[in-house]
Amino acid sequence: MLDISFVKPALPKAGAIVALLPEGAEPAGLLKALDEASGGNVARALDAAGFKGRKGQSATIWAPVPGVTKLLAIGLGALDKLTPEQAEAAGGNAWPAISGEAAALLATDALEAPVAVRAAMGALLRSYRFDKYRTTEKPEDKPKLAKLSVAVANATAAKNAFAPFRAVAEGVFLTRDLVSEPPNVLNPVEMAERCKVLEKLGVTVQILGPKEMKKLGMGALLGVAQGSAVEARLVAMRWKGVTPKKGDKPICFIGKGVTFDTGGISIKPAGGMEDMKWDMGGAGTVIGLMAALAGRKAKADVVGLVGLVENMPSGTAQRPGDVVTSASGQTIEVINTDAEGRLVLADVIHYAITQFDPKWMVDLATLTGAIIIALGHEHAGLFSNDDELAAQLLEAGKTTGEACWRMPLGDAYDKQLKSDIADMKNVGGRPGGSITAAQFIQRFVQGRPWAHLDIAGTAWAGKDTATTPKGATAYGVRLLDRLVADHYEG
Amino acid sequence: MACGCSTAWWPTITKADAFLPVSVRFATETEHFSARAGVGMQDGFDGLGQTIALDPAQGDEEMGARAWAKLAEPSRGLEIDAREWPDMAAASIAAGVALRAWRMPKAAPPPRKPQLLVLCRDPDAANRHWPRLAAAVAGNLFARWLVAEPANRLTPATFVDRLRSLSEHGLAVSVLGPEELERRGYGAISAVGRAAPTGPYLVTLEWKRAGAPLAFVGKGLCFDNGGISIKPAAGMEAMRADMAGAAACAGAMLSLALRDAEGAAVAVLGVAENAIGADAYRPGDVLKTASGRTVEIIDTDAEGRLVLADALHHAITHHAPRAVIDIATLTGSIVTALGHHRAGLFGNDEALRDRLMAGAMAVREPLWPMPIGEAHRRDIDSDIADLKQCAPAGKLLADACHAAAFLREFVGSTPWAHLDIAGVETAEEDTALAAKGVPTGFGVRLFDGLV
Repeated sequence: MLDISFVKPALPKAGAIVALLPEGAEPAGLLKALDEASGGNVARALDAAGFKGRKGQSATIWAPVPGVTKLLAIGLGALDKLTPEQAEAAGGNAWPAISGEAAALLATDALEAPVAVRAAMGALLRSYRFDKYRTTEKPEDKPKLAKLSVAVANATAAKNAFAPFRAVAEGVFLTRDLVSEPPNVLNPVEMAERCKVLEKLGVTVQILGPKEMKKLGMGALLGVAQGSAVEARLVAMRWKGVTPKKGDKPICFIGKGVTFDTGGISIKPAGGMEDMKWDMGGAGTVIGLMAALAGRKAKADVVGLVGLVENMPSGTAQRPGDVVTSASGQTIEVINTDAEGRLVLADVIHYAITQFDPKWMVDLATLTGAIIIALGHEHAGLFSNDDELAAQLLEAGKTTGEACWRMPLGDAYDKQLKSDIADMKNVGGRPGGSITAAQFIQRFVQGRPWAHLDIAGTAWAGKDTATTPKGATAYGVRLLDRLVADHYEG
Repeated sequence: MACGCSTAWWPTITKADAFLPVSVRFATETEHFSARAGVGMQDGFDGLGQTIALDPAQGDEEMGARAWAKLAEPSRGLEIDAREWPDMAAASIAAGVALRAWRMPKAAPPPRKPQLLVLCRDPDAANRHWPRLAAAVAGNLFARWLVAEPANRLTPATFVDRLRSLSEHGLAVSVLGPEELERRGYGAISAVGRAAPTGPYLVTLEWKRAGAPLAFVGKGLCFDNGGISIKPAAGMEAMRADMAGAAACAGAMLSLALRDAEGAAVAVLGVAENAIGADAYRPGDVLKTASGRTVEIIDTDAEGRLVLADALHHAITHHAPRAVIDIATLTGSIVTALGHHRAGLFGNDEALRDRLMAGAMAVREPLWPMPIGEAHRRDIDSDIADLKQCAPAGKLLADACHAAAFLREFVGSTPWAHLDIAGVETAEEDTALAAKGVPTGFGVRLFDGLV
């Protein structure tokens, strides 16, 4: 992981300088020092490039003074309108220009420490790379920068403020690693094993296999897993950052972890099926979230639960028409074996309620294609039976840039799940496909405060964004970390 | 005015009553109908005939509608005992009956309208509430009647004829025909409609009162086979209802006229048929819209937003409205998103959005707010024109959001809302106010209430 250190503003002897500059400001601090060292060349060059510091504007000046390879000036727009998210994006956008350097200094001395910290976070998040399977890549094609110095007026304050961000970034990277891993490597058994890294952070990790799950009556989850050669796992992770007082209840995060989803007997078309390695994105996020919370020693009692299965077609696979009995006792007619995520969640949510008696639950799942048709890739679909929890999630989405959009629930949608033979069908047809999926899950929450995030459109990015390289986004880690930090700590 | 309903044999209370499928009266005393409904009654039969239980928990309109729906074949009509309720409730019950009693025009209407006798404590008070409700119901049923018409009967030309006849109710009707639209540079609607034998037309209905009007803009595709990007055969017959947005606007304007509304309103309807022909527009074409903006065509089946682009521009530049609301059966995407139970609500103005959400609850035409994100707008950047009409084909496209992002480009700073009503323009199953397969008239009562 990229090493970030905060230093007092001083001209470096070597490497690149990235300066984050507000609009219309006279050169000051580090930039002024650099300009003076260059005999006024830097200011003239920025002027010639038409650089005014407007938001999104940038200019590169090569070798401004001996030793310094380049100056990248990035505009922030008006300082009083700068949000922390925009500072983060500016830091992230700097990364591609400096990743090949031996040394680099991010000059944020125009910014207050809390905002400078977000710029550093942006660069760190963008620096993620999953290259363990690239065996023939030439060294010069790999990023070289191992340490980024961040120049800021109050370096000590920034260093302290950054510590929790670093822990969250560790969680994000863990999630991205899990989601990026190919499905032959990361199967349910392997994924459960990897949860054990959390023990080092003080998280207790408990793993259930098929035998235990069968005893608990988890026919819905096990039905999905029965076509695969690899056994299912349910992992419960608990971070007790506070000593619970009598009557205190933990909060629960629940993730769908289908390590590969062929669709089962209702097999998916071949085109794009490789994407289904990230059908464990919800579980990946929950695991990374637990790492983030434990890593920054969050003062909260949090349980993370993931249901891990592989959905394969085979002689033992479940069929359309099968009726399974969930752990809650409710029966489900399986119409489409490719609507398997909700079957897994049904049993894990029931387990959460019976084992942990949570204050509330949030589940995450790459659940439906319909949510992409509804919202695209900028928002996750948010479904909830609790307006307060939903409002807190929407707010946390705004401050972290992991946005969600509330979607409706209602009896009319629930009726679409009516089955002729069982308590419910596992699909409600194309119309309102994400809503009926949420209605299905809601049938297992026993009226408890609950929110469901359909992250099928946000778990994976088809192209680079400011703070996320193309690929696994770890959507939800920062959102839910913020939710906990803002409302459930102390 | 013809609307599929027979002439009343009772003297009508208001002008609007002529549009209703039942003859409504309010009275204090029972006339011992053979079909009666009321709280405390049971579903069944007694000495007089059939009895139907009302459940007050359902709300007034639904009570009336459900009572009607439970009657297999009313011979004379229905008597509802509402003497336990306020007089306003008696009027609402009657409105519910009138909405549910409307039928598809497949057979000759009964020689006489069935009667609806609502018993209440103060018939005069109920009669005072009734005209306003009746007008809204009449507008709704007018819209249903238009939507129900098959596309060989309701061509762009005959649609426009029927809209012209609204002038007899006091609406100012003006029509721009194909040549005029071409001449004025309305390149989007012209391209969409030009392969069909009639149309396109841009029809303006005005209810002139003091002050800046509220503008309604409706998509009126009398039939949509998709054009060169032709639709699959299965289900194509439903595309006769692709003018439901325009029908809703027309219905709302009729309501305003029938109740002599105080607020000013204007409706601009883009009426066309999206057909295939040697002269049809193509994917790849670049059109110049009335606003001057150029649009690259990706899919000729995304034609509604093109018609709306020119209609929105016309409404805003010619009528300086205080707000503009468009309504359209626009995308399949919104059906996947929200199903058949809510319409999608997009816009650029929170106050307008909140008013629509509140109004929609009141008339049971439920909406749900949907986003227009930065990426949605970026997705329709074009290499050759100002805008793409939609994102290039692929799976899992947020087309409803893309369409809204497209439309936003044509409204400038005018407060604007966009209702995507694909999915709710026809009842997919029996609902309180419409039987399965019947057009709902979605939007009419919402718009009427808004004015």
